[in-house]
Amino acid sequence: MRRTTISIVAIVALVLAVSLLVWALGASRERSAATADESSGNSAKAIAAADASPPDDGNWTMPGKDYASTRFSALRQLTPRNVGKLQVAFTFSTGTTEGFEAPPLVVGSTMFVVTPWPNKVFALDLAKPGAPTKWIYEPNPAAAAKGVACCGAVNRGAFYSNGRLFLNLLDGHTVAVDAGSGKEIWRTKLADIQKGETMTMAPLVAEGKVLVGNSGGEMGVRGWLAALDAGSGQLAWKAYSTGPDKDALIGSNYRAPYAQDRGKDLGVTSWPPEYWKIGGGTVWGWISYDPKLKLIYYGTSNPGPWNAEQRPGDNKWTAGVFARDVATGQARWFYQSSPHDLFDHDDINEIVLVDWPAPNRRRIPALIRPSRNGYFYVQDRRTGRILSADPYAYVNGYKGVDLKTGRIIPNKEKEPKKGRVVRNICPGPPGAKDWNPSAFSPVTGLIYIPHLNLCMDMGVMNANYIPGTPFVGADVKMYAGPGGNRGAFSAWDPVRRRKVFEIKEDLPLWSPALATAGGLVFYGTMDGWLKAIDGRTGRLLWRFKTGSGIIGQPISYRGPDGRQYIAVPSGIGGWAGRIVTGELDARDPTAALGFANATKDLPQRVSKGGMVYVFALPQ
Amino acid sequence: MSSRFRNSCAILAVAVLLGACDREERQSRAKPLGETVPAAASPDTIYPGDPSRARYVDARGASYEGNAFAIAQGQQLYNWMNCVGCHAHGGGGMGPALMDEKWRYGGRIDQIAASIYQGRPNGMPAWRSKLTEDQIWQIAAYVRSLSGQVRKDAVSARADSVSNTPPQTQTVRQPVRPADSDQQ
Amino acid sequence: MSRVAALILPLALCGCAGFQNALGGDGGEGANFVRLFVLFTAVCTFMYLLVMAGLFAAVLRRRRNADELTVDTGKHHESAPLVTRALAAWAILIGIGLMALTVASFFTDRSNAAITRDPQLSVKVTGNQWWWDVQYSFADTSKSIRTANELHLPVGVRAEVTLESNDVIHSFWIPNLAGKQDLIPGRVTDIQLVPRKTGLYRGQCAEFCGVQHAHMALDVTVESKAEFLRWAAAQLQPAPAPRTPLELAGYRYITTRECSVCHNLSGTPASASVGPDLTHFASRRSIAAGTLPMNKGNLYGWVADPQSQKPGTKMPTIGLSPDELHAVVAYLQRLK
Repeated sequence: MRRTTISIVAIVALVLAVSLLVWALGASRERSAATADESSGNSAKAIAAADASPPDDGNWTMPGKDYASTRFSALRQLTPRNVGKLQVAFTFSTGTTEGFEAPPLVVGSTMFVVTPWPNKVFALDLAKPGAPTKWIYEPNPAAAAKGVACCGAVNRGAFYSNGRLFLNLLDGHTVAVDAGSGKEIWRTKLADIQKGETMTMAPLVAEGKVLVGNSGGEMGVRGWLAALDAGSGQLAWKAYSTGPDKDALIGSNYRAPYAQDRGKDLGVTSWPPEYWKIGGGTVWGWISYDPKLKLIYYGTSNPGPWNAEQRPGDNKWTAGVFARDVATGQARWFYQSSPHDLFDHDDINEIVLVDWPAPNRRRIPALIRPSRNGYFYVQDRRTGRILSADPYAYVNGYKGVDLKTGRIIPNKEKEPKKGRVVRNICPGPPGAKDWNPSAFSPVTGLIYIPHLNLCMDMGVMNANYIPGTPFVGADVKMYAGPGGNRGAFSAWDPVRRRKVFEIKEDLPLWSPALATAGGLVFYGTMDGWLKAIDGRTGRLLWRFKTGSGIIGQPISYRGPDGRQYIAVPSGIGGWAGRIVTGELDARDPTAALGFANATKDLPQRVSKGGMVYVFALPQ
Repeated sequence: MSSRFRNSCAILAVAVLLGACDREERQSRAKPLGETVPAAASPDTIYPGDPSRARYVDARGASYEGNAFAIAQGQQLYNWMNCVGCHAHGGGGMGPALMDEKWRYGGRIDQIAASIYQGRPNGMPAWRSKLTEDQIWQIAAYVRSLSGQVRKDAVSARADSVSNTPPQTQTVRQPVRPADSDQQ
Repeated sequence: MSRVAALILPLALCGCAGFQNALGGDGGEGANFVRLFVLFTAVCTFMYLLVMAGLFAAVLRRRRNADELTVDTGKHHESAPLVTRALAAWAILIGIGLMALTVASFFTDRSNAAITRDPQLSVKVTGNQWWWDVQYSFADTSKSIRTANELHLPVGVRAEVTLESNDVIHSFWIPNLAGKQDLIPGRVTDIQLVPRKTGLYRGQCAEFCGVQHAHMALDVTVESKAEFLRWAAAQLQPAPAPRTPLELAGYRYITTRECSVCHNLSGTPASASVGPDLTHFASRRSIAAGTLPMNKGNLYGWVADPQSQKPGTKMPTIGLSPDELHAVVAYLQRLK
């Protein structure tokens, strides 16, 4: 009797213990799944922010395609099945030989081609065979501006709005051109080349304001974002990236998500005395706009000089992302991705606005961005709070991002010191990805990132500030990172926080990406191949060798005959292609701020050029 | 030692000592006044009716080119004045390469000094009121050494940077091509 | 003999000038060193005198036991008992002496090490040919101070001085306060200073660093804490604005011409850093790292022709016109 009782008790106890164990294990797995689920929301996809991404009308009126910067075309004619038959429809030579980065714009039956210096604009009539030129706009910017443009005499594009084209000239002017006639309506001077300032970015026009920023983070230039009135060109407001709060337009509306970005006059107190005046933080990259929240989002460049020992402190408001009210410029929030930046990791990369699937089936207004420092950030775009920050490339310069404090954790071993060389810092100065923007497809829910795999050796020395000359203080030598490939094209799932596929490229990828609803993704390589891949698997479906390297934005539009066209600029240049456009000598590996060593073979493989190629399926 | 041998040793020593002097000669009180940089030496200028002018080369250049002190000072000024920010250590960047054989505005030392002094249209700043002419000649001498144009015993055997370019004592001399072929 | 002594003695006293005196003992480390030095000198002098006495004794002493310690008696290899005892005592005395010196040295080291604990002031000195770049850093980076060729220290406060070099090896030496420490390019060294007495001192570069190594002095001012804070607050101010037309002309010249590519004047367009910071230049005691005392005449001479005062220095002789010279010096004098 006793034995039976004991055995029953033992069995019950055993069963209880086992079930307890199972439950505990299950709970822990659930917990880890829950953390993934928090951001995966039961495998839902991110979709483009609705207000910022209107239905596609077949045009391409702004470099990012829409205010959300998706670079996604909803045209479906081209599919993985038929893209193999894609052929050249017509070509156009601009006659320029600097890096060709600007996307052609298409409005109705006119294509607008914006060239690098001397910043000409050509209007091509797409309705006629061969797309003849309708008008040419020649602004004649100063040639001396080429001497203070760090990374090629490039231009990242114009913006079409209300019958006008808005673009920046290299020598520091913003112009408005009538799209019908090519006549200049107004020209406003904003930047001074005598101080080393130039302008290369593509404006964003919203709510009657033309938003433009300066370049010159390597020249000791103080960065700013300005808003001009679209009608008259008069300055409406200007927000500096360094200096007192009244210059940075930080007022009562400002709420930083993390303590590291809260305080009074941080743009002065986080610098040694007077260094904020030559501190960088230029705005030479991309701006996105949320028409519902009326906020613009953009990033600021690296602080100057590259030698961080000269500028102790967090160096606000450089290397971070601002959200500002478009009408007044007042800052809503700011997040500094790289406080006291050590490696020239600007934060000006594209910011894609998406509606994020939250666990409770709701959607959070979010922004996603592959940052230069190697981390893919997902942030709530109302507050700036980070939802996730994961490395999308090989990173050893940082140990991670602390999501509680929001602060990136630098790797002390990789901190450059005066008089020494620190070796194998990844990613190098152009980062895991430089300015060339990625494309987001709401169909697949993936973001297609053309990026780099470069590491560097860096030695720093005292930088001497002389206006109009470089303010750098560093000798850098770059080379391929782990794996030996210098570039990579990745498809990243922002919700599941992982890479879906990666295509290794021999040369660094300096061209933007294009995604289409037909399931295709286009990008170009530095030796001139325009490639079409399957958006789900990454398989190469079609490619075409253009005459020069591709570093410009491929676009897709609906032509007057109803066909879907793909247009891409082909002209090597920019920082990565400087060895070709500048005819540099790679025997000095520090040439072109270190890029010459990483692109030693480029002059053999590609020459300068400046042509637009347009492709379509045969009729 | 025989007295004859001693005498010849002494003569040899004196010759060597005197011969090495100009390599290290320092003029700390260099001419501050007057224009020593040629005013209009654009590359391969045409002198209509006066072809002999085309072969005129400023004599001062030679004394800077062979002087180790001038080249060393030039190297220091090259870094201080941010030449290295645009031209790197000869490889170029925002500015053209200085270690190869292509010269947009002329590769003779006086032409280089003129480019530094006057500035150039595609973005080379003018240093005329920012540096003394002596300093400009020193920088020009250093720039010449980047393409191996100067005496190997006058250059520094070690670069004070992380550039990993071969030491200047091993730089191969590049021919100086006529500048006109590179005009843009 | 006395004539020789009369010649030598004044030379020997040259090292004892008050403001650059290795035996001054005005700083914590310096004071420890002086104590140790005196002890060593005393002990060694005593030993020396004993040795001399013994030597004379040996020379003058007559050999007494000449008959006893001979080959015949078979004791020629023995020493006189007095000598043996004397030598034994001498060995013991040496032992005690060395022990005393070792122990004293050990305690001096410990005392010096104690100085290094929790420094209260942080200074970085960078050596250049041939001037000193001095930077004070505080918890608030926007309050950091940069000056050249002078060092202000509050008395009794432990200062940690970090040393770096931009070109060749220099050596930091303020004889009154502490010993020498090298500034080596590519490395960071440090030295701790605890000044104990207020006053004006002179430091000197102590490692041959080029043709003007001799003219690389440092003006050190040790003052009360209140005075130091007042000085620091004044240093934070930007360069004073020009007040007269002549000063304005000088300001314009300095901020747009040759001066502006090397020198920094806070709050003006001249923000270069390869030469000494000039923001409060006129408040310093000397020009060009101790080459010339600061006064109007020397300023004229220096600005007009630095190569005549300090041949080989990096500041070139520009060849200013008389009007330019008047203007520049007028504004430089405003920079208090």
